[in-house]
Formats: sequence, C-alpha cells, structure tokens
Amino acid sequence: MAKVVLASALTRHLPDVSTPGEVALQTHGATLTEALGEVFVRYPALRSYILDEHGGVRRHVAIFVDGIALSDKAHPQAALTQSTEIYIMQALSGG
Amino acid sequence: MSANIKSDHLLVSTRKGLFALARADGAWIIESVSFLGDNVTRTLADARDGTRYAALNLGHFGVKLHRSDDRGKSWQEIAAPAYAADDKVATGDGKEPAPAKLQLLWELVAGGANEPGVLWAGTIPGGLFRSADRGASWQIVKGLWDRPERMQWFGGGYDAPGIHSVCVDPRDARTLRVAVSCGGVWQSRDGGATWNVTTHGMFAAYMPPERREDPAIQDPHRMVQCAAAPDHLWVQHHNGVFRSVDGGLRWSEIQVPPSVFGFAVAVHPRDPNIAWFVPAVKDEKRVPVDGKLVVARTRDGGASFEVLREGLPQRDAYDLVYRHGLAIDTSGERLAFGSTTGNLWLSENAGERWQLVNGNLPPIHAVSFG
Repeated sequence: MAKVVLASALTRHLPDVSTPGEVALQTHGATLTEALGEVFVRYPALRSYILDEHGGVRRHVAIFVDGIALSDKAHPQAALTQSTEIYIMQALSGG
Repeated sequence: MSANIKSDHLLVSTRKGLFALARADGAWIIESVSFLGDNVTRTLADARDGTRYAALNLGHFGVKLHRSDDRGKSWQEIAAPAYAADDKVATGDGKEPAPAKLQLLWELVAGGANEPGVLWAGTIPGGLFRSADRGASWQIVKGLWDRPERMQWFGGGYDAPGIHSVCVDPRDARTLRVAVSCGGVWQSRDGGATWNVTTHGMFAAYMPPERREDPAIQDPHRMVQCAAAPDHLWVQHHNGVFRSVDGGLRWSEIQVPPSVFGFAVAVHPRDPNIAWFVPAVKDEKRVPVDGKLVVARTRDGGASFEVLREGLPQRDAYDLVYRHGLAIDTSGERLAFGSTTGNLWLSENAGERWQLVNGNLPPIHAVSFG
C-alpha cells in the first residue's frame, strides 16, 4: 500500500507517458519488491531503467522510502505501510 | 551501394544526441536530430537492409539500444545485450572480481552479407554479443567470454575491459577478428565458437619488461580491415601503430608523424596501403601536437606518411578524436571526423583538404557514413 512517484527524468523514457512530469501510482503490495513489481506491470519498459540485469538498483538511481534512501541496492527490500511514499529518481550529476 | 559512389549521409553520435547530416546542393546540413540531450555512443546504418541502430548510454538508467526502419524518423527501443547472473569480471590489474553488468555498447556492426539480421556488439566489461534477429535478442559469445585469458584483461580508460572493434571477414562471415582494450586481438574461424589471440609483433610499453609482449594485455585502441583485401588490418595501439598483412597473425610497428599516439584509424576500402590517423601527443597529454590538428596519411603501407593540415586549425586546437570518430565512405574519397570539442570536419578528396561542417556540436563519440 504505497504511493510510488517516478521522477520526470524516468517518465520521459516511457513511450506510453505523453505528458512530461512526474507520475504517481498507488500500489498494493506489502513490500518494496511487490510495489516495484506492480510498477513494472504497469510500465514494463521501466524495469531496465531502474534495475540492472541482475535485479539490483542501478548505481545512479536512488529510491527513497519515506525520505530515507535505500542503502542495499543489490537487494532492494523494505516493508511498506498504507502511508508509505516511495520516490524513484536519478542521482544528480553535472554536464 | 556501388563502390565508387560517395555516401551523402553521415551519422554523428554525440554526448547529447544523434545528428544525421545529408549533403544537399554541395553543402552538408543537419537533416534530423534524434535523442536530443541523451548520450548516443554508437550508431550503425546497416547497408544490407537500411536499418539504423543507435546505442545510448543513459548513465543513470543504463545502456539502451534503439532501431529505426525509416531512416531515423522514428525509433523503437529494442533489447540491449545483458550479462547473466553468474557472469563475473575479473581483471589482470588487481581489481576485486565483480558481477558483470553492461556498462557500454562500444561496437556495433552488421554480420555478413549472407546473414540478414545478424549483428555483433562489443561491450564493456568485455563481452561480445551476437543477435540473429536485428537486435530483438542477444546472446553472449561464450567461446570468447569463457577463455581463461580474459581474467588477464583490464580496462583502458574505463574500470573494466571492452571490445571496441569487430571485423567480419567479407570472404567468410564466420571469420571474426576483434580488438580489446586491454586484451589484445582475437580471431575466430567458426563464427565465434573458438578463438585465438594473435598479437605477434605488438608490444605494450606500459607494462613491466617481462610482460611487454604478453598477448592478453595489449591495448589496441582501434582495429580496421580493408574490405577488398581483408588480410590487411591496421591497428592504432596505445603506444604505436601496427599493421598486419596476413589476417592479423603477425604485426609490424609503423612510425607515424607527428606522433604515434591516437585512437582513430581508417583504411581505404579497396587499397590496403592507404590509411589515415589523427595523432595526439601521448597518453598523458591527449591533445594535438603543438596545438595543430592534423591527419596523417600513408599511401604506401606505412613506409611514408603525409601530414595533411589544409582546412584544419593550425593553432590553439585541443581537439581529440575518439576511436570511432573517423569514418571513410565506400568510395574511399570522402572522410569525416569529429572531436571531443564538438567539431566536425569533412574531406571530399581523401584528406587533401578539410572543411569544418559544424563547430558547435556536443562532444562527438562516433561518426559513420550510411
């Protein structure tokens, strides 16, 4: 039962998102893994943008669960409550 | 495409987009821009069916591959090569072994004329991949990946080693030659099932004396093959230029003015004795010698060189040309190169004179005609 917010830097790569900006989804799973699974059902293309080929969170992708950054990116796990908010965004860099 | 007709289309892969240029009324104009703002590392125009492929490295979101069936008007994301869960990268420079993850799609070439839909992709961290379905799916080439010598390879400019040059022999598409930074030159006669490392004559000045001629740690920066004489190959290596006339089995060092350091090399499609280089000072100083940008050309197999500079900046130039940044078309007359400072030059006469096509592009990774 978490709200998942996808940063606009991610949603611009989704062919079925036509309006620029963040996308928020309500998920129903009890864990981060389940919530991400629901997001990937809705947006299959997103999986390879957030996770690498082994299921770990990409080095330069950050996932915040209620404001705290996920630390074990190789094994993304967190318990969710009804009011949990998950933000998935890019690490910032210059250029 | 007929051998003597010049190509009027140029694809420029840059840090911030793919620029497709076309020649119209004698001038080169930007015909279309794709992926504006995104890091396009490599583009392939497949001469067999007109398909275009673009490899992107989105940094945060990984390496992506896109395909266009309408010459770049629209693109579809397709599969990128992927490593298996138990694939490991172990290197010969002491880094901890780590899970293999795709970091860069560094080389992308078409298979043989008789192999429609076959593509080869060279990657960092060192895997060669094959697709038989126009990039819809990819398989790692286990015959090379599983060679124990791979554990001696190491990164050149990156943390992990990578395959940046794949040459498919026009006489027999089962004959493959690849070059690895830093891992030598490898060849297969059976479509990738088995491989041999062939660097006899190359040496690595950056290694301890007892390992200078070790095949698996040579750093060829780029390898190209003459289409009409495929036994003739040229390599711009980290510490020199090497040439082979026997299919890459043995290599001879070539002296190139004003410097033997560089990344890019091009060979004439019909005359294996003609080759071009864009030298820089040396590995610790990757800028043109004396601030003068030049192209070095041999027409006699490396016995002598001309230093071509007409139309190129001869003061205060700090352009570096990456390994895929120099291209020649099938006529052998038209060349183009692009630099890290976003300058794109073109020659209509085999390098005798150059014109600046655009001086305001993003940093250029690769150029190709097609």
